[in-house]
Amino acid sequence: MAVTTGTTAGATGPHPTLASLATWLVPGAGHYMLGNVRLAAIGFVVIQGLYLLGVLLSDGLFLSILPPEMRGTFSPVLSPEAGNLGALLAHVQTVGYGGTEPRVWPSTIHVGVALTASSGILNLLLAARAHFDARARSAATVEGAAPHPGQAVLLAWLVPGGGHFLQGRRARGLVVFALLVGLFALGTMLAGTANLDRTRHFYYWGGQALLGPIALVWEQVVGHSIMEAPTRYDEAGVVIASIAGMLNVLVMLDVYGTSDARLFGRPVPTESGGDAGATGGVQAGAR
Amino acid sequence: MSDVGVHVALFLGVAAAVVAVSCMFTEADDARALRLFPRRYASFIVVSALITGAMIVLEHTLASIG
Repeated sequence: MAVTTGTTAGATGPHPTLASLATWLVPGAGHYMLGNVRLAAIGFVVIQGLYLLGVLLSDGLFLSILPPEMRGTFSPVLSPEAGNLGALLAHVQTVGYGGTEPRVWPSTIHVGVALTASSGILNLLLAARAHFDARARSAATVEGAAPHPGQAVLLAWLVPGGGHFLQGRRARGLVVFALLVGLFALGTMLAGTANLDRTRHFYYWGGQALLGPIALVWEQVVGHSIMEAPTRYDEAGVVIASIAGMLNVLVMLDVYGTSDARLFGRPVPTESGGDAGATGGVQAGAR
Repeated sequence: MSDVGVHVALFLGVAAAVVAVSCMFTEADDARALRLFPRRYASFIVVSALITGAMIVLEHTLASIG
């Protein structure tokens, strides 16, 4: 199965690292440099649109969630919004922590911060896609039985295990879904839904946002509850829910690496270093 | 179940998920990944227990404020 990258195979172009760094700074910039103007435009509009809509709904106050003692020069870098670096830098320059006077958060702040966080995560996925497309462009042939790593990793974020399903590894996909969603459900139960609120747990929330829309939508449905009494294992619950999201990063790397290896005809990773499923594509001159 | 028992049970459960995902990441073949799991899980638990033991000893000696 040939993969369409929207660029010309065998052609010269920007270095893969440059393409992904450009995307990190400006969504779609990497694909623009690669000549894939359509994907560049879609990426820019969707990702910056999500960020802008999120800023409008949250009054741009997501950084003001941080308590004063946690506000530092590099504090925003640890948020999911850092995936959309250009937008975050502009945000820090213009709004920052929201000034010295306390402001009332709008009622739509929870939806707003979920959108800005999603924008950052999606842009990182686009940057990873730009890296693959740049390598594919310089390769003589990219052909193998695997979906595009960019599509697989996007689906893995949208639904944990979805990337494995797309690759035909259904049993693994089901196990991933059960493990990660189960872990997130366990954490939420232990925390008494206290984890489903970015204004309570700014950084732990960032970890669980990596689980994708399941965590974000779950939060909008049952989150932001008023805690009338302390929950016995709330701290453990918050940590466990965050771990579920961070484990999804490992899952996304697995999905990306497998598609990448299959399409370039390299052995997929194994502990023994052997070939556990390469599909015999032509060895490409990837950089 | 006692408080310590609940924490140990939670740790064992979360560790199982962490080790399972790391086995999948390391090994692309499902059968091989499944065979890796018991040894890795045991190693994870033993090393974590050793670190916990060292932390408890340090807490009751050097870091004790009591």
